[in-house]
Amino acid sequence: MRVINNPPEIATHRSRKFSHTMNTTHRFLILSSVAATAAFFSGCASEGVKNPSGVPVTQMNPDEQGFVAGTGVESQDLVTVTDKMARSILSTPAIASATTPPRIIIDPVENATRFPIDKSLFSDRIRIMLNSKAYGRVVFLARDRMKALEHERELKQSGQVTSSYDPNPVAFKGADFVLTGKLGGLTTQTSAGTSDYILYSFQLIDARTSEIVWEDSAEIKKQGLEDAAYR
Amino acid sequence: MAPRASALPRLMAPRKHEPTGRLTLLHVLHRGGVALLMLAAFELLTGCMDGPAPRPSIAYTGDPIVDGNAELAAAPPKDRVLWDDRIAATALRLGNFDEAKAKLDDAIVKGGGIINHTADAAKARSLFHPEDTKTFIGEPYERIMDYYYRAMIYWRDGEPDNARACYRTGQVLGSDVQTQQYKSDFVLLYYLEGLASERLGEDASDILARAQALTKRHLPPYNKDANVLVFAEYGHGPIKYAGGEYGEQLRFYTEESPIRSARLTIDGHKVGLPPYDNLNYQATTRGGRVMDHILGNKAVFKGTTDTVGNVAFLGAAIAANQNSRQGNEAAVGLAAIGLISKLASAATTPRADIRAWDNLPQFLSFAALKLAPGEHSGQVEYLTRDGETDPEFTREVTITVPADPSANTIVFLSELPH
Repeated sequence: MRVINNPPEIATHRSRKFSHTMNTTHRFLILSSVAATAAFFSGCASEGVKNPSGVPVTQMNPDEQGFVAGTGVESQDLVTVTDKMARSILSTPAIASATTPPRIIIDPVENATRFPIDKSLFSDRIRIMLNSKAYGRVVFLARDRMKALEHERELKQSGQVTSSYDPNPVAFKGADFVLTGKLGGLTTQTSAGTSDYILYSFQLIDARTSEIVWEDSAEIKKQGLEDAAYR
Repeated sequence: MAPRASALPRLMAPRKHEPTGRLTLLHVLHRGGVALLMLAAFELLTGCMDGPAPRPSIAYTGDPIVDGNAELAAAPPKDRVLWDDRIAATALRLGNFDEAKAKLDDAIVKGGGIINHTADAAKARSLFHPEDTKTFIGEPYERIMDYYYRAMIYWRDGEPDNARACYRTGQVLGSDVQTQQYKSDFVLLYYLEGLASERLGEDASDILARAQALTKRHLPPYNKDANVLVFAEYGHGPIKYAGGEYGEQLRFYTEESPIRSARLTIDGHKVGLPPYDNLNYQATTRGGRVMDHILGNKAVFKGTTDTVGNVAFLGAAIAANQNSRQGNEAAVGLAAIGLISKLASAATTPRADIRAWDNLPQFLSFAALKLAPGEHSGQVEYLTRDGETDPEFTREVTITVPADPSANTIVFLSELPH
């Protein structure tokens, strides 16, 4: 005798009902889990903040329309500017056509930007570039070492140290030209970021006539936006 | 006899009257849900394990510079500028300008650029790390003071153009660009910029006018012959604390200093040193930060997940009381969601960064003098609101002016302890 505990139609109905309930429960659990986890992972405190990571500093052409305004003087600017100035000085007629190498002294560059910098780096690198690449077409005078040079001369004059030449006549040479420069800047700051434009200008001035025999400039504009954590 | 379906593990059991594909999808989703829950819990737990490294012990000597440098060496990299700042202020008060210069340069290099795409800043913005995870560079008034103090040393080194650059950057830092409501109103940043421009042979009358427009106090006209620059400070600066339900709001505690002015008497002449700038005012009047918005979002997330957790646990309790298999399953699911939500809430850290350059002054003052080369004796007195001298703070001062007429003598007077 075959005993049917669960008639097929009843079993099927129960199975469907159970399956439906289980499906609902599973769906609820799954959807709740997914929703909770999605909320967990996507829940971002930076929501509503534009560019939460900030925008990397980008170098742009001075005539290019920027999205904000810039930042400071860096090593690549120093190299770019001084390379350009050194090449430009050598091509000026006062240097290129000189029968004897002109003597140049350096007057410290003036910093009119908002960035405190070691200003001597600019004139130092121009001098180094010219001395190393121009093969004697210009001569720089070490006026910034006058104190040490005068002391050495005094020692020789007083006979405290030996000398291979007569130390009494003044042998320190005068300059034909003065090389100087100025760094000027403009700053713009908005909620979109900070932008700085810097004009690097250099001049070669005739020490006898005060004529500016050469002048050149370089412009660099930078802009960036800080991480929202710092805004 | 075929095995009964119920004998199979529940998740493996085939269900009658259901297409095989649907079964598979449900199973995958179910397993995926469980996996996601586990992953979320794992993330929470691993996030909580990201704690600070143990701090090395410090043998204090009583020398504030030595001890400060020991603190700096023991501090995590993210706090380096904080200790640079504190040591710099102390060094200036001790007359150790070289130490102050080194520390201020370090602080300016680290905080002076455009900081973005750094891991610690991203962490500070994330839900599960406090704001002080980020590298400290200070709030605008603190960053301004880096430049203000550094400019003083540039004056001392005979570089008025670099001093001016510092004042100009300070002005940029003092502007509130988020709301566009506040331009820098730091009087001395403008006044001293003008002084530097005068020294460089420029006409600074417009800068002086701009500085004068920022204060009701009369600013003395620039003295081109002045060779002694006196920088004075008194009172205690702002202290930060965290407000709001979860400490997500950066707030400032300020205490009005009983000292409201200073007076330098040198060679019998009295020189007033009134408060031109108030750092408490500078700290508390600037507009809101973008980071405040982020911290607010964190606080909302923390509160919401906590509420969701409460509701889920309540639902779980109700479902469990139904005494049915379905009810039990729902209770387990709701309890899991409640647990995740509670864990998420507990792990969310909206706390504001309250690290502060805590040895700053409240008031800043300045005077320029013309003194003959040689030594000059005098005293500095600090005055209360009523104009009474507080003898506790009266100090004898000696100013040595070099023979070089182009040299600037910098005198730094501080009422604050070292």
